[in-house]
Amino acid sequence: MTEQKKATSTETPSIEQDLYQKRKKIYPRQVHGLFAALRVSGVSLLLGFFYIMPWLMWDGRQAILFDLPERKFYILGMIFWPQDFIYLTMILVIAALSLFFFTALAGRLWCGFACPQTVWTESFLYIERFIEGTRQQQMKLDKMPMNANKFFKKFSKHFIWITFSLFTGFTFVGYFTPILDLSAAIPTLNLGPWEWFWILFYGFATYGNAGWMREQVCTYMCPYARFQSAMIDKDTLIISYDEKRGEPRGSRKRGQAPEQVSLGSCVDCSICVQVCPTGIDIRDGLQYQCIGCAACIDACDDVMDKMGYPKGLIKYTTENMLNGDRTRAFRPRILVYGMILLGITIGTIIAIMNLSPIELDIIRDRNALFRETGMGMLENVYTLKVINKDIVGHEYRLSVEGIKDLKLNLAKQRIYANSGSVVEIPMSIEVDPANLKQRTTEIFFKLEAIDTNLSVTEEARFLGPRVR
Amino acid sequence: MTETNKSTQNDIPVMQKIIAVLWPSFLVAGVETVVFYTLFDPLNVFMDYDVSRLGAYSIGFLLFWVFTALPCLLTLYFAKPCIPCAMNKNEAK
Repeated sequence: MTEQKKATSTETPSIEQDLYQKRKKIYPRQVHGLFAALRVSGVSLLLGFFYIMPWLMWDGRQAILFDLPERKFYILGMIFWPQDFIYLTMILVIAALSLFFFTALAGRLWCGFACPQTVWTESFLYIERFIEGTRQQQMKLDKMPMNANKFFKKFSKHFIWITFSLFTGFTFVGYFTPILDLSAAIPTLNLGPWEWFWILFYGFATYGNAGWMREQVCTYMCPYARFQSAMIDKDTLIISYDEKRGEPRGSRKRGQAPEQVSLGSCVDCSICVQVCPTGIDIRDGLQYQCIGCAACIDACDDVMDKMGYPKGLIKYTTENMLNGDRTRAFRPRILVYGMILLGITIGTIIAIMNLSPIELDIIRDRNALFRETGMGMLENVYTLKVINKDIVGHEYRLSVEGIKDLKLNLAKQRIYANSGSVVEIPMSIEVDPANLKQRTTEIFFKLEAIDTNLSVTEEARFLGPRVR
Repeated sequence: MTETNKSTQNDIPVMQKIIAVLWPSFLVAGVETVVFYTLFDPLNVFMDYDVSRLGAYSIGFLLFWVFTALPCLLTLYFAKPCIPCAMNKNEAK
């Protein structure tokens, strides 16, 4: 036992060192090629969309504005109210299904080309390269003791990163607070405390995630990274190293064919490892850290070109293809995901197109069920709530059906609701008791817009005394 | 021996622990905020204070975050391997 204890105590420090080993910084080497170009265009498109969108106007107001204080979401020509929350949910469901569909088809396309984490990390890497130079120069700079030059470079890098992050935070808040008001308040720093808070918060998150955390976000924070393997099968496009062709790997002189040196095609230059933003070796097989960015494909193709070997030692392929079997793009999984996705998308579009721009709520007076007027008539009191979700104001006409000879008494003669407003109108209905067949009668309120052919019908109840 | 002494908690990097507390609570706090404020008007919640709607949303979100991060922290704490259990296992061997 004592011996064992001794053994463990001597071993512990090495374990501790291992366990508390700090994360090694990854210096991705710059890469050129088809997929790098695709990623750059993806990044520019998405970032451009994010930064420009809040500045676009639609009918004199911000085209996309999630107005939390007013509880209205403006998206182009549409206004979404809290009661339209279901459509937001549907859009999220569509997004999730698309993710399933594309993952089953071509692996982690999302991660490599469209994920905000990739997009912002890519821009931060670009800034880092601009200031600190290539991979080798960056590594040299980090090993160097602090001096004026290093300080200046580090300072400029963080300064640009932070400015860029703050602008990102500002843009983000601009989706929730009118961005023109926000930008007018910036020069005098006259923002509300919570606007400040969220600009700094989102800016800090951008700086932290894209500048410092990087691939750790994918490894530790991303739920998708952990379950995406469930959507991948033997027919899914993955990025893979052709082991049969590549091994045994080894260095050789330029222009020497693999057969001459009795080696595989892999020259073991390790450039595929150097370009990897998550720091893995693709030659070890499919790993969950791989975000499918295809940087290694570009890098390896470049090397193969220089060696005069055919490209594609690392390529998009499928497990079936690697094993020499047939790959089926149209398989039950794809068809099922595709059908569900198509169905829900079409359904949601139709539902949003048919979204009625007027809404009518009828609230019965809770104090009295009914009242007898001096003229021997029965009266019920209601409050009409007219909600105009259209982008223009409308005047409406009201009619009620369900009981013979009913009489409407409206508190206002003219029913008018501005765009995006709610108008409440007290009203009452009088009927002759002789026309009532039962205690509760269903009546139908029909509200029609006078200038267009919009209408809405709402059911309500007219209450009377027990009918003998 | 070394295998059992090695606590599984130490296998988890510090960064992952921080994320395990702050990140799930952030996500859940977002959902809680949405649900809570669909039911209650932010202005009614902070009726006695001079808080704007945006402020009310933000305070609500931050409070939810804190109160969700606490159980995450406790889970992390209680997920630590319990020493008597580990010792029993060793003796059994």
